Amino acid sequence: MLIFEPHIHMFSRITDDYERLCLAGVRAVLEPAFWLGQNRTSVGTFVDYFETLVGWEHFRAQQFGIHHFCTMALNPREANDERVNKDVLAILPRYCEKDSCVGIGEIGLDDQTPTEEKFMSLQLELARRHKLPVLVHTPHRDKKRGFERCIAIIKESGFPMERVLLDHGNEETIKLTRNLGCWSGFSIYPNTKMDPARMVSIVLEYGVDHMIVNSAADWGVSDPLMVPRTVAKLEQALVPREAIEQLVWKNPIGFFAQSGRLNETMLLKPARANLRETFEGNSVLRGQDPDRA
Amino acid sequence: MTTACRGCILLAPMSKTITELSAHLAPELLDLAGSMLAEIRADRSQLPVLFPGLPRRFGRDAKTGGRVAIGPGTVELRAFRTCDLAAAFLLLSCHATDAELWDLYAHGDIEERAMLLRSLHFLPLGPATVRLLGEVQRTNVVLHFEAALCDSDLLARTVGQPGLDQAGANKLLLKLAFLDLPLHRVLAAERHANPDLSRMLQDLATEREAAGRAVWRDTWRLIGMSPTAGTAARLVGGLEHGDDGVRAAAAEGLLALNRKDLRPFAAERLPREPRAEIRAQLQNLVQRLAT
Repeated sequence: MLIFEPHIHMFSRITDDYERLCLAGVRAVLEPAFWLGQNRTSVGTFVDYFETLVGWEHFRAQQFGIHHFCTMALNPREANDERVNKDVLAILPRYCEKDSCVGIGEIGLDDQTPTEEKFMSLQLELARRHKLPVLVHTPHRDKKRGFERCIAIIKESGFPMERVLLDHGNEETIKLTRNLGCWSGFSIYPNTKMDPARMVSIVLEYGVDHMIVNSAADWGVSDPLMVPRTVAKLEQALVPREAIEQLVWKNPIGFFAQSGRLNETMLLKPARANLRETFEGNSVLRGQDPDRA
Repeated sequence: MTTACRGCILLAPMSKTITELSAHLAPELLDLAGSMLAEIRADRSQLPVLFPGLPRRFGRDAKTGGRVAIGPGTVELRAFRTCDLAAAFLLLSCHATDAELWDLYAHGDIEERAMLLRSLHFLPLGPATVRLLGEVQRTNVVLHFEAALCDSDLLARTVGQPGLDQAGANKLLLKLAFLDLPLHRVLAAERHANPDLSRMLQDLATEREAAGRAVWRDTWRLIGMSPTAGTAARLVGGLEHGDDGVRAAAAEGLLALNRKDLRPFAAERLPREPRAEIRAQLQNLVQRLAT
């Protein structure tokens, strides 16, 4: 079964992860721009990061036959940082138009401050201008209230719900989002957030319409194979194959296809994996024969 | 000249290059270009925002057609895509500055950079041309080197501009050899044959041979046009090479070298040459060196 992993921070992962993803059937990944574990001190480091997402990381994924897309944004955590927030917003438009950018994200709330809310609203406007869907990060603390606040901000902005993916949901938040017309995202984690068994229960109760699962794997203790693991659990629970395929392939494609920059047909073949190629002189190989690697 | 073509009201007065580029863009694409140009003119900061989307909006399909003169130069049209021509059209029409061209390159992804470099073939020569040719001289992205150097006479037109002398052109042609791209893709490259370039190419050939690697076939073709020490021996040796392409290039090189004292080598090779087209070349060479 082909899988579109719709939220994974490959910037923080190693080539083994790409290889395992490929072997597990992951044909495409979506990498949202995010917080790197510590705040950046100038806009220049954001420029470099955004260019890595459309440059080196895009190339690196292709070397494993995986299509790489991204979303661009000022993340909610650094939205609070006056050293960078306004400048990042000023440089974002050109990156929103990059070919592999298929959305705005992660925007949303983290500490649920007024500044985060202001920059979330500004970036909803950015998404509207660039005709892109938005990937919304929801708070890990006081989550239900954070969801409610995100939904309120989106409604206030008049941004179409169909183009919104409210991520990092759980059993409580699905009750808030299931009738909104937006997409509900679930991050499956080894210990925190959601786990595969709980996700199975949610699917059995609510179905797969407008539902999306991801690993949200990053620089912390996380597992890039959480979507394939969830697929296995769903199969064991006798969820029909068509429903699983919709959940892990057609739904994420359907959501990000709203950008007009990707479609299922272009993903049916693996990304071009020519190990002889380099990116600005750099290769993923370390001494291997490119024809045998 | 002033024009009233579809979508081009904003472009008047149009330069000759813009007019010629327009002929290769469908009317609806000219309308699109016209509206984008209006956006850029209203707000200059829109140029880097609109530029990345050109392949999506104008298409990546290759143009059909052969060698044509457009604006200041000559290009092989089939090597250019619709979005490349649209990019050139927009950059010319909005009078993109050197700083803007550099900014688009510096912050572009692989495809944007290729598109910008292909636009150079239609833009007025300037510091940005020289700077970007310098960049591709150092790049490892073959696509970018091809986009800037190949399928037009840009190099021939740029040599002599401040910052790009013959030594700089030699480095670019040596890189062409290094990447094993055919000489004929750099239009009018033969104008730049010179003894120092021949020395560099011969040194590269010797180095490759020592490593048991293939040598750029056009080496034999180019060095004959401007010989240096060792050229004659390498050309004569090329007649005995096992690669058909090398023997053909060596015969061409000897023709350009035009040394009557080398005629016996060509005459001796002639009856043993298995390829008919190379035999014809040798026949011509033997006759030419006899007169």
